[in-house]
Amino acid sequence: MATTEALPDSPAIRVRGLTKSITTPSHRVDILRGLDFDVPRGQFIAIMGPSGSGKSTLLGLLAGLDNPTAGSILLDGEEIVGLSEDSLALLRGRKLGFVFQSYQLIPTLTAEENVLLPAELSGATGNPERRAKELLDSVGLAERRDHYPVQLSGGEQQRVALARAFMLAPPILMADEPTGNLDSTNGQHVLELLLTMNRQEKTTLVLVTHDTQLAARADRRLILRDGVIVTDELGSTHD
Amino acid sequence: MTSGLSYSTALKIAWRESRSSASRFLFVILAVAIGTGSLTGVRGFSRSFRSMLLKDARTLMAADLSVRVFELPTDPQLAAFQKWESQGLERTWITETVSMLSGANVAVPQLIAVKAINPAQYPFYGAVTTVSGMSLTDTLAGDGVGVSDDLLTRTGLQLGAVVRVGSQDFHIRAVLAQEPDRMSGSINVGPRVMMSRENLEKTGLTQLGSRASQRHLFRIPAVKADAMIQLVRDDLKIAFPDAVIADYRETHPLITRGLNNATTFLSLVSLIALVVGALGVAMAMQSHLQTKLDSIAIIKALGGRSSHILRIYLSQTLVLALAGGAIGLVIGIFVQFLFPILISKFFPVTPVMDFDWFSILEGLGLALLSTLLFTLPTLLGIRQIRPIVILRRDMEGEPPPAGQRWKQWRASAGAGLFILVGMIGMATVLIDASWKDAFKVSAWFVGGLAVALLLLSGLSWVLLRGLRLLLRAPGRKVPAALRHGLANLYRPGNHAEAVLVALGVGVMFTLTVYLLQNSLLGQIAASAPPGMPNVFLINITDRDRLAVKSFLDKGPGVEGDVIVSATASGRIKLIDGRPIEDIAKEGPVKRYLRARSLTWNAELPKQTEVVQGAWWKTWSPDRPEIAVIAETARLLGLKIGSVIDWELAGRRIPMRVVAIYRNEAVGPGSGTEFITSPETLRQVPMLYFGAARVRPTLIAELQKQSFAKFPAITVINLADVLERVQEVIDQVALVVRSISAFSILAGMIILASSVAGSRVRRVREVVILKTLGATRRRIARTFTVEFFLLGAVAGLMGSLLASAFANLLLTRLLDAKFVFSPWPNLFAVVASALIAVVAGWLASFRILGQKPLEILRNE
Repeated sequence: MATTEALPDSPAIRVRGLTKSITTPSHRVDILRGLDFDVPRGQFIAIMGPSGSGKSTLLGLLAGLDNPTAGSILLDGEEIVGLSEDSLALLRGRKLGFVFQSYQLIPTLTAEENVLLPAELSGATGNPERRAKELLDSVGLAERRDHYPVQLSGGEQQRVALARAFMLAPPILMADEPTGNLDSTNGQHVLELLLTMNRQEKTTLVLVTHDTQLAARADRRLILRDGVIVTDELGSTHD
Repeated sequence: MTSGLSYSTALKIAWRESRSSASRFLFVILAVAIGTGSLTGVRGFSRSFRSMLLKDARTLMAADLSVRVFELPTDPQLAAFQKWESQGLERTWITETVSMLSGANVAVPQLIAVKAINPAQYPFYGAVTTVSGMSLTDTLAGDGVGVSDDLLTRTGLQLGAVVRVGSQDFHIRAVLAQEPDRMSGSINVGPRVMMSRENLEKTGLTQLGSRASQRHLFRIPAVKADAMIQLVRDDLKIAFPDAVIADYRETHPLITRGLNNATTFLSLVSLIALVVGALGVAMAMQSHLQTKLDSIAIIKALGGRSSHILRIYLSQTLVLALAGGAIGLVIGIFVQFLFPILISKFFPVTPVMDFDWFSILEGLGLALLSTLLFTLPTLLGIRQIRPIVILRRDMEGEPPPAGQRWKQWRASAGAGLFILVGMIGMATVLIDASWKDAFKVSAWFVGGLAVALLLLSGLSWVLLRGLRLLLRAPGRKVPAALRHGLANLYRPGNHAEAVLVALGVGVMFTLTVYLLQNSLLGQIAASAPPGMPNVFLINITDRDRLAVKSFLDKGPGVEGDVIVSATASGRIKLIDGRPIEDIAKEGPVKRYLRARSLTWNAELPKQTEVVQGAWWKTWSPDRPEIAVIAETARLLGLKIGSVIDWELAGRRIPMRVVAIYRNEAVGPGSGTEFITSPETLRQVPMLYFGAARVRPTLIAELQKQSFAKFPAITVINLADVLERVQEVIDQVALVVRSISAFSILAGMIILASSVAGSRVRRVREVVILKTLGATRRRIARTFTVEFFLLGAVAGLMGSLLASAFANLLLTRLLDAKFVFSPWPNLFAVVASALIAVVAGWLASFRILGQKPLEILRNE
């Protein structure tokens, strides 16, 4: 597989003419219609918009979880459109971290095993167990590392997911409504952790949210409506 | 750390997932276990039976070497015997024949299996024992005979009774308990009567023309046995080219052939159960993967490749198959115990259980292979799971682009082909024949099974859709329970079609066996319709044949024509100067290497038409002529004017083909392949048999009169033979049905597995229905309707296809007529429905007890 080393002056994400359509037997739905934007390294960008505007689809395409109908996506300077499934998987393991709204932990693995999973999948060397312990410690779950997801509360599960997302110190972190399933106290706790860890690890953060208060803390807000960018504005830095 | 998910992590995930889906996987394991159990049971029994045959070969033959023929030895053959006897070999001669037994207290003469031996020599190995403990020599001394206990049961006679066999009276001295070579014997049509050779001579049963099996048993001095056995055997094979020769180094060839055929057939029947079980595993794995979509998508999103994820589910499949295989081995032991009971009537043996490593590996290997084969398409489907589903569930159903669809189609077709090839491979291993023949049979078997599965699948689709349309028809008032029960069949993850196929295939196979059994018996009974002979006379000598004919013409209850025909046995040596070995090389023509029957006739037989040449009007011993049936002429390439050089009773007679005929008649003698002119067989010893149609109520009277006049002639009542045939067919069908029932059991388990697999959905339904005010009784009714419909539809499909297959097999292969009978089909539908209800409830009875709040709180 041909890989491209990240160019220091290239943006973390570059999107050109990104289009996604779904064709059903009765009609064709255009979810995204020719998006163009760059995300500089280390930026915290919030993608907003009403339901059905194409936010999650955009996130999925940026992460190489799905193929666009047309257009180009460069992650860390590397074109991901047209890569094979396995190449995409390898790229995700190397460059991306994920936090999902519904945590998405593997139910049959303990908290620690879930955190270790990206390291195992990418064949990371060194001492991944130590890193996993540190991360669990930093999200306040050192004592619960042997618990299965079902034995953890929603907030705890999302904190494990955060630790997992940072396990390989990815240059880009994608988060889809990370506080959407949590009550306000837990949501706040998780958000603070996310932002702190993001700051410490110096990652580019792409966050999909409905929450305007959360979006207000982003460096930049991209608002989608009917598959097009209607607003692209810079905001205050989150620190 | 190596790149990718390690096998230990894959196994860890697989193991923990299996634990959390224990109930579903328990059924999967059982489904595999059933097929494996049936297969290892059949094959284990066969192997132990075979090893017993080999271990006790001397005892089962009562000798070191046995030569079986149907003729008395010719001079050169006697010389061959004497040559070896002069070198220290002992020989004893056994004659077995059928005859009639009568007596003052016997109402109707009985058909018996006579065995004449020399008690001073026989048996060389093993022992004949009697119930009272009397020795064989004492039993057969003077006018004594030993009989099997069923003779006393049938006739009501007691020990000491006087009975008449042929023209001689005997005393029943003892009841035979054990006869070492009973299985190696050839005639088992009636109760055994054992007598000494001298007494057999006195009965008059052994005159020239009587049909008897002759066995010559040899004992080779122990020190010379291994060195001499092959020499003796080779020499005797030259002297007796048509004989069945067996020696102690091998299992008896006739029993072995029967055993091999039975093992092959039952192994293939078991393979059906194994396939049904494997289908169940594939179905359960598919349901399981549906519930694991999120986990798979997450691993993919985190950088896991399809091959990593495949490790998890491949390990899971392997562990399930191994567990199923291991339990199957235990079931196999029970099947091995069951077999001796099922066949005890014909083979009173208790083979030692043989559970060697080979059986274990074979069972486990086949369980693994079949499971892997059928799970392969499901496992390959992991590649199609898109990681985007964790963000957008609605993308799950999005059709892939055209290029990918073609790839998927190609992968499915490839997997299908792989399954077919794998199945043919497995079946080939199970068939006891040369690789070439085994492959041919396997290809037919697998092709047939694939067609059956496709038909069942198509039929289940049509029936389910039809049922739905029927119930949805506007203006139709359908009870709610029926409507809901039917709707439940379409519940996501229910796999109604797969369940129908699994259950249907079991019903289809079991019912096909039953329908064949019934039709064949009906056919045999119908083969003696009014006008056709129902009484046959055998062991008629040349001297008696005219007297028998005139007796039959005026006999009690005789209706219509009486037939007394002659046959001789001979071998074709040359055809137009070419040795037969050069002509009969492959296929059906090979049968002409063996002895064939000939008869003579002055006139063209009834319902026979000459298609080439002309029937003789005059004849002479100097001008041997022969007519040949058209099919035989085609096979042997005979034309008018061809010369067939026969060897008949040691003489060479070249006969010129003067006519080729076709015969449209049905009945005794209608299939005769070779008919000679009257003088051609003048010097050849002939066997005669008679046939007549007798009013059934007067058959006993005819038997009595015949016995009085011709005590050496055996009168066979077709009804008695039919009863015996029915017993054999019933016994065989019982064994086959017992094994094929395993596939029904496997289908039942798959239904239970499917029900267990949809447990979460069912629980939700129950809770919602309860919340909306439905009583347990009402919900139970809905579920019962669902299970009943599944079973009834499977039963209906199975019975429809069983009738179609039975029809096909009977008319095309067995040349018999198929008559549709509604009752067995109706029984299959109802029984299958009830089985489904039982299986369904066994897997879901606890669901009804769910408290709504417990579930809703967790939603």
